[in-house]
Amino acid sequence: MIELLRTAAQEAPDRVALASSAGELTYGELVARAETAAAELRRRGVRRLAVLDPDHGTVWALLAACSLAGVESCLYPVAATDDTLAELRERLGHDLLVTPRDLPGPGLLRPERLWAGSERDSGPVPDGPRPLLVLTSGTTSGRPQAARHDWSRILRVTLRIDPAPEQRWLLAYAPNQFAGLQMLLHVAAARATLVAGASFQPRDGLEAMRRFGVTHASGTPTFWRFLLAELRTDGAPTPDLVQVTLGGEAVPSAVVEALRERFPVAKISQLYAATEMGLSISVRDGEIGLPASMLDATDGEAQLRVVDGELWVRSRSSMLGYYDDEPVPDDGWRPSGDLVEVVGDRIHFRGRATEVINVGGVKVHPLPIEERVAKVPGVALAHAHGRPNALVGHVVALDVVLADGADSGAVDAAIRAEFADDPPAHRPRSITFVETLDTHGGKLLRGRTP
Amino acid sequence: MSTDRSTVRQIISDFLVRVKKGRDELPDGLPLFGDGLALDSLEAAELSVVLEDTYGRDPFSAGGELPQTVGDVLSFYEGAPAS
Repeated sequence: MIELLRTAAQEAPDRVALASSAGELTYGELVARAETAAAELRRRGVRRLAVLDPDHGTVWALLAACSLAGVESCLYPVAATDDTLAELRERLGHDLLVTPRDLPGPGLLRPERLWAGSERDSGPVPDGPRPLLVLTSGTTSGRPQAARHDWSRILRVTLRIDPAPEQRWLLAYAPNQFAGLQMLLHVAAARATLVAGASFQPRDGLEAMRRFGVTHASGTPTFWRFLLAELRTDGAPTPDLVQVTLGGEAVPSAVVEALRERFPVAKISQLYAATEMGLSISVRDGEIGLPASMLDATDGEAQLRVVDGELWVRSRSSMLGYYDDEPVPDDGWRPSGDLVEVVGDRIHFRGRATEVINVGGVKVHPLPIEERVAKVPGVALAHAHGRPNALVGHVVALDVVLADGADSGAVDAAIRAEFADDPPAHRPRSITFVETLDTHGGKLLRGRTP
Repeated sequence: MSTDRSTVRQIISDFLVRVKKGRDELPDGLPLFGDGLALDSLEAAELSVVLEDTYGRDPFSAGGELPQTVGDVLSFYEGAPAS
């Protein structure tokens, strides 16, 4: 990380690296903070630390400082409760937590203490291991795991990023997520500007797009669905995006079509990334899914294959293992947990293995159902999930957000009519109309019960 | 929602219309399965969902024997307050 920031700062120290309602931070300022913090971390003999800070500039500087000082960093989710933080620190053995938050107990350090000194570490990046821990989202398990990575492997993905200082990217993922970390790396490698909203909610993202002239944005399909809904209702001008990227969840075709309509000049690409794989595959041809030709490719950072309907990945930048667990074989094949289907010349994502609804022994994928429900007139958003049932294990259930003015009775009937000729196990048996859908880390909360 | 027999019977009747098995009358002795209403397992599951959504509990998930007739479903709610 520090090498990317230094390169950008040498080229243009006054270029804005981060813009938000809290102010601006230049590449020169970012490097100064990182080098000062690296010197202080060395002076204190710190080898590992956790970071909990809502300020993205602080987080970015600390990641770079740790990458320079060979300190293993781990970003905690800002929304974590005190109890969750205590559990994470205990489980991950973090004696030191850098945070501005007032928490009980020892081992706390305020971030500004790390750049209060006058000494700067302006030396070269050291050889040898430069570890970092990245927490998984825990969307399905509810308990984040810590994936061990090394900066030298993570940085491989930045080698093919060309400088593009005119780009202004919206930060739509929290930096503690792998996708958020990728965004920091991408912007630094492109020597561009990162724009942060007041929160990661689509409404705040939209406000930041307009206020700071965002040109590029990457978010989950759920993020984009909500952002499109905000755009429809607020009536204000549509941001002039030239790049729209979707990732983190399977991508419904209806969302892509709606984005094409709303952002007609934007290139629409999909990003396939996973914390454990340490990789990001970007597909820019505007089509749904990945090209099936990737299954035959033997070069590049990652290889893909399909085993029993699940995508397996062999990545040169994959994690080294989970914290306090056995190392994973270097460059070995690993199941991604993503269920796929090869349709023609594309690999289509059907959802996570843990999301499959088992209806009396019949496996039903929720995503294709959501796609069809989303096209029913009067439906603004839909979420398909399994609802426990004593008779058949689970039935297909829907949470539906109505479009403005839509009648719930008519929409209920229309949805049931849409699926009337489907196999019985695939038909939604429970339709609940809700005000909004729950999300976590920009993704729909799945695998839950009503 | 009232748990009196006519209300529960109406809920069952509405459900049957939706799954295209509507009847003019639903006598207590009408079997839910087989030669009666001929509900399959998923239709029974859907009826249990409808009843659970209305009353917070349903006779199919209660852990005892499955109800066999319309009357069994009605009796399940008799004397029990709606939750």
